[in-house]
Amino acid sequence: MCEGNCENCKNQKVETDPKRRSFLSWSVGAINLAVLGGIFTPVIGFIGSPLRQKPKDDWIDVIGQDEIPVGATREVRFKAKVVDGYQTVTREYVVFLKRYPEKIVAFDPACTHLGCRILYKDDQKKYLCPCHGGVFDEDGKVVSGPPPRALTEHAVRIKDGRVFVDRRLTDAT
Amino acid sequence: MPHDVLSPEEPVVGKHVKSEQEQLVADRPSIKDWTDLRLGWWGFVRKNLDEPMPPGVGWWQTLGNLLMTLLAFQFVTGLALAMFYSPGTESAYLSVKHINEGHPVGLFVRGLHVWGSTLIVCVTVAHVLRVFFWGSYKKPRELTWVVGVMIFNVILGFSFTGYLLPWDQKAFWATTVGTRIAGTLPVVGQGLMTLIRGGEEVGALTLTRFYAIHIMVLPAALMGFTALHLYLVRRHHIAGPVVPQKGEPVKFYPNQLFKDAIVVLLGVGILAYMSLSMPPSLEAIADPTGADFAPRPEWYFLGMYELLKIMPAGWEVLATAVIPGFVTVGMLLVPWIDRAKSRHPAYRHWTIVAGTAVILMIGIMTLKGILETPPEHKAAHAAEKVSVGTPEVTPVPRLESGR
Repeated sequence: MCEGNCENCKNQKVETDPKRRSFLSWSVGAINLAVLGGIFTPVIGFIGSPLRQKPKDDWIDVIGQDEIPVGATREVRFKAKVVDGYQTVTREYVVFLKRYPEKIVAFDPACTHLGCRILYKDDQKKYLCPCHGGVFDEDGKVVSGPPPRALTEHAVRIKDGRVFVDRRLTDAT
Repeated sequence: MPHDVLSPEEPVVGKHVKSEQEQLVADRPSIKDWTDLRLGWWGFVRKNLDEPMPPGVGWWQTLGNLLMTLLAFQFVTGLALAMFYSPGTESAYLSVKHINEGHPVGLFVRGLHVWGSTLIVCVTVAHVLRVFFWGSYKKPRELTWVVGVMIFNVILGFSFTGYLLPWDQKAFWATTVGTRIAGTLPVVGQGLMTLIRGGEEVGALTLTRFYAIHIMVLPAALMGFTALHLYLVRRHHIAGPVVPQKGEPVKFYPNQLFKDAIVVLLGVGILAYMSLSMPPSLEAIADPTGADFAPRPEWYFLGMYELLKIMPAGWEVLATAVIPGFVTVGMLLVPWIDRAKSRHPAYRHWTIVAGTAVILMIGIMTLKGILETPPEHKAAHAAEKVSVGTPEVTPVPRLESGR
């Protein structure tokens, strides 16, 4: 292996003009930065594109208002066509609808702790999280365990006796 | 000396004397010599085989080699699996099911990959503990340790991203919770979670992102860090026992290499046995609405899982970011935190006490998670504690709607 003493190495010329040497060094640095920027700017922009997507309302007719007695909670499953990356798929969702005398509330089934799927126990009027033991009452308020806040609510509209739920949440699921 | 080789007929000019390399060519060298002239390969191999081992080095120093072998196994089995795997929400589950059931060897290869990841975590932990208690990270090997900690984190990254790929219930829910952990970080949490998921929900882009990270980003990082780690190990040599032993250093080959080979054989044997006797499972396909599945992470994340349970409401960031971050940064800084001159554990009181406390905490929490009541009984158990009526569970009426 050449240790710097081969004929090519011995005979090589060295740039001695300091100004020219400095100019060449800076030029190489600037070109490298431009090349790296040219590669990484679009790539990072592409990878980060999900951050720029703005959520849109997606109102879905899920049930007739009269199908839920006042005071009752119902687990309602509904299907919605959603854009999932490169595909549009029909995906199933769940909300828990609680009917109060004056309104209907739709609770998201994701525990507010870390997003596990909660279960509703009708006999106890409680929501239970199987992951870390979070417990919510039938109004979605935290009873015990680590959840930091009450269950997240979906927006609800009632029109012509039908209950419409906004599939999207302002908070992340 | 020029690399171009003189032909035998070419006259030797002046005082120039033919080098050994030139003679090799002139005398019709063997293939070994011919390639060595061009690649320098055997010199490289020789140098590594002649690596001096301090006296007292033995079985404990075989873990690094075992780890390298297991990582190579992961690379090879991962390559095979990637040829059958399809990272789409419609196809991922089916392709893994095909790997499991479509070919007799498929299940075994997947078993090697799945159990290999568990074994790698075990061996890495043992390797890290050995280096920690032996104080092998001390000057001038601080960066060897730092790069080792980076490799450990890359290995955990492999586990986290690989877990989602089968797209079954376990995969989906562990990732839903795992990515949500990023969402607990203050200020940047929600954005980070969206970035990791590739959208608001765990879906098609989460799968492709995790797949790309699993097969491209992490392997590149692992190869880079491992090359640097090995370079540093060779540059500074192995630290040897905490109390220097009498005697001369011994060459790596053949004594230490033989021990390495025995341990590698044992490790690979255990891996093969586990893969054959406990084939990797595949749960039901991922169902975001399914209520009959309680997410649980892989066993080595159970410590964090248990920690999350005991955190009071609103303090989960302690368990998701602060404590793990503190442990990771603490690990990276160990060579500078430990100011003791000696490598002997008896002279490194605080470091050993703090390290043991952290190890015990992680160990106890992990054990608690492993021994915990099965998750399907857990919900019922939790229900009894808050029960205000009959313990009988009545399913809530379920209604379905479509549009």
